Amino acid sequence: MRKSLLLIMSLLVVTSLLLGACAGAPAEEPAAPAEEPAAPAEPAEPAEEPAPGKTVLNVWSFTNEIRTMAIAFEGKHPNVDVVYTMIPMTDGEYQTKLKSALGTTDIPDVVALEAAFVKEWVEADFLADLNDLLPLTEELKTFPAVVQVGTYDGVAKGFSYQSTPGGFFYRRSIATECLGTDDPAAVQEMVADLDTFVETAATIKECSGGDYFMVGTSAALFNPFLANRAQPWIVDDALIIDPMVEAYIDFAKLMRDEGYESQAGQWSEGWFAGMSDTLVDADGTPKKIFSYFLPTWGLPYVLIPNSGDTGGDWALIDGPLPYQWGGTWVGAMANSPNLDLAKEFIAFVALDEENLTNWATGVYTNEYLAAIDPEVPEDQAQAPGDFVSSQVVVNKITSTFDGSALAEWLGGQNNYEAFGKAAPKVNGALLTGSDDAIQRALESVRDAYLNGEISEAEMWSQWLDSVRNEFPDLLIPDPPAAD
Amino acid sequence: MKHSSTKWNIHGYLFITPFILGFLVFGLYPVFNTLALSFTDTTIMSGEASFIGLKNFQRLFADDFFMKAVRNTWMIWILNFIPQIGIAMLLSIWYTSARLRIKAVGVWRAIFYLPNLLMPAAVARLFFSLFSFYGPVNQFAVQAGILDEAMHFLQDVTATRGLVVFIQWWMWFGQTIIIIMAGMTSIPIHLYEAAMVDGASGMQMFRWITLPLLKPILIFIFVTSLVGGMQMFDIPYMLTDGRGSPVYSIMTNNILMYSKFSSSKGHLGAASSVGVLIFIMTTLCALGIFYFLREKE
Repeated sequence: MRKSLLLIMSLLVVTSLLLGACAGAPAEEPAAPAEEPAAPAEPAEPAEEPAPGKTVLNVWSFTNEIRTMAIAFEGKHPNVDVVYTMIPMTDGEYQTKLKSALGTTDIPDVVALEAAFVKEWVEADFLADLNDLLPLTEELKTFPAVVQVGTYDGVAKGFSYQSTPGGFFYRRSIATECLGTDDPAAVQEMVADLDTFVETAATIKECSGGDYFMVGTSAALFNPFLANRAQPWIVDDALIIDPMVEAYIDFAKLMRDEGYESQAGQWSEGWFAGMSDTLVDADGTPKKIFSYFLPTWGLPYVLIPNSGDTGGDWALIDGPLPYQWGGTWVGAMANSPNLDLAKEFIAFVALDEENLTNWATGVYTNEYLAAIDPEVPEDQAQAPGDFVSSQVVVNKITSTFDGSALAEWLGGQNNYEAFGKAAPKVNGALLTGSDDAIQRALESVRDAYLNGEISEAEMWSQWLDSVRNEFPDLLIPDPPAAD
Repeated sequence: MKHSSTKWNIHGYLFITPFILGFLVFGLYPVFNTLALSFTDTTIMSGEASFIGLKNFQRLFADDFFMKAVRNTWMIWILNFIPQIGIAMLLSIWYTSARLRIKAVGVWRAIFYLPNLLMPAAVARLFFSLFSFYGPVNQFAVQAGILDEAMHFLQDVTATRGLVVFIQWWMWFGQTIIIIMAGMTSIPIHLYEAAMVDGASGMQMFRWITLPLLKPILIFIFVTSLVGGMQMFDIPYMLTDGRGSPVYSIMTNNILMYSKFSSSKGHLGAASSVGVLIFIMTTLCALGIFYFLREKE
């Protein structure tokens, strides 16, 4: 009797420990591979010791980018000590840390928020009202989408120094071989809308005997399709399945069935191999990928580092649909004791003409930063080329990128100019805090449908079940009719 | 005499106090807190929470999604547990057999245990790369003529489930071998000697000596594996998209719980209700195991 009691007790201990572990602190979702790759992941750095006699401003971010601007800010405000804490978001550590710091005294004054989760925070009540900074956005002609994303219910809660319009990068050699020209304007004509896009995909397939693919994966078009919906995912607590969502699924099925895509998943090894012309199928036959849908940051962070020796063979155009992808917003915590200073910092980072110009044109070299803070790490600096959020600054500096290293890589094309044309077309009103989960749920069943594992009707109903389970309060419509 | 025994008792309590305190704070409190949360609509991103009774549980049973997670978890666990215990038992018998006298048993045991030292996340990514569309498995299978053309292993329900089962088995059977061998070597040798004198066969000795005396060990393996299996998370989470893709075929209980927690608002209440049901299910099953395998007096 005693023994069995002991057994039951120990069992209870074990099971409660296990449940304790479940309930404890499940880490936040890992950075979806669809996110902007964080700058070289470094271990979380302990915040530096605040300097005596200075006002301390605590800033948290998930990359070292904003640290550059924080040092420049200290240069302008000698009485301020910006204590910068970098927590990587590779596996969602940053989001978890931020959420778990809520309600404690351990919260920062200023937080950086990535596009994938900025809306969650803008829609919640933890960020300060930044409406008094709005006049600055008019002065600088900040791209409307950038302001829109940081605003909820008429209250601005975050601004960004970047704008991240998407582009369509293609291989000049394949264009010359199959389309007869590599001229960006002419190629843009051939992919100007979805119908011509599909025709061009067919041309490229025929011309190469099936060895060239229009895109790495049709998943690349998910973002562009979603960016052109009439309504966001959620309106009045109800899920909206916009016609563009259905159109996208049909389009993806077509791309798969006709063999216009390489079937290498986004961010998979095959997808990267296409960038450097090293893609080989299971038979051992070399394959090529004609184009990649990537935004501003995709050029320096994704395409160029993975392009092998294909540099100079690329060109950048708008593609069939305007869209945006990623970006970093900066907000202040509502209960920050240094709210005014925090606002000043945000204004400097995102809404200051001089800072944005310096940021984009490579003024913030390591020497520049070391002159302000001698302890700055040796690799802390900002290379020229990040696409900024102010139309005024963009107009002023575009010509300085003629003939730059980036332009050389694009066969002489000025990337800043190309993105400058795309940025005003972006619609920021479609983002909601729940997008990431809803879209990931659809992607999860989409691939099984494209692969013929389930029917279209099954795909819709499975997706809606999944959304219902993640958003208990959401009204879920009937599934769309399958073709 | 009485006086001194009381004193000793106090020492005993003192020694177990750190554990008891740790258990109360990190073990028992979270359990009750999870239970309390499961009756509310608490989210991380809003300060307000209200008591909503059993609504979280009703929602779980309103569609097939939760039951699908439960079925997946059981299926993956059972399919990996049977070969795990079977092969571990067979290898243990061979390695402890006085007749076979296998050499370098320790080396073999270490080799079988090695996969368990790998990080599950690394293992999952490794298999993800191996079995991707342009990955080496497809290259090999097509060029060797096993497959006609490359296939999407990780978009195929059977293949993906099979991979999870295989990885779980491969990572854990070494651990099981170690425990079973420890159990087998602790059985007094004179029992076997007596059986041999009586003319018992190897099979009879296994059935009537090894198995009964190994029972406490087997119960231990059974229960710990069940508890671990019901919480299966890392491998299925990292192998595909973290949601149980393809078609939620490897969505386990914990993945479902986690997705409720990690959705934009952080639905702590709804996630807790899944945790509570896993807790109840695991406890009932473990008690069942104890009951059916109890010493019959």
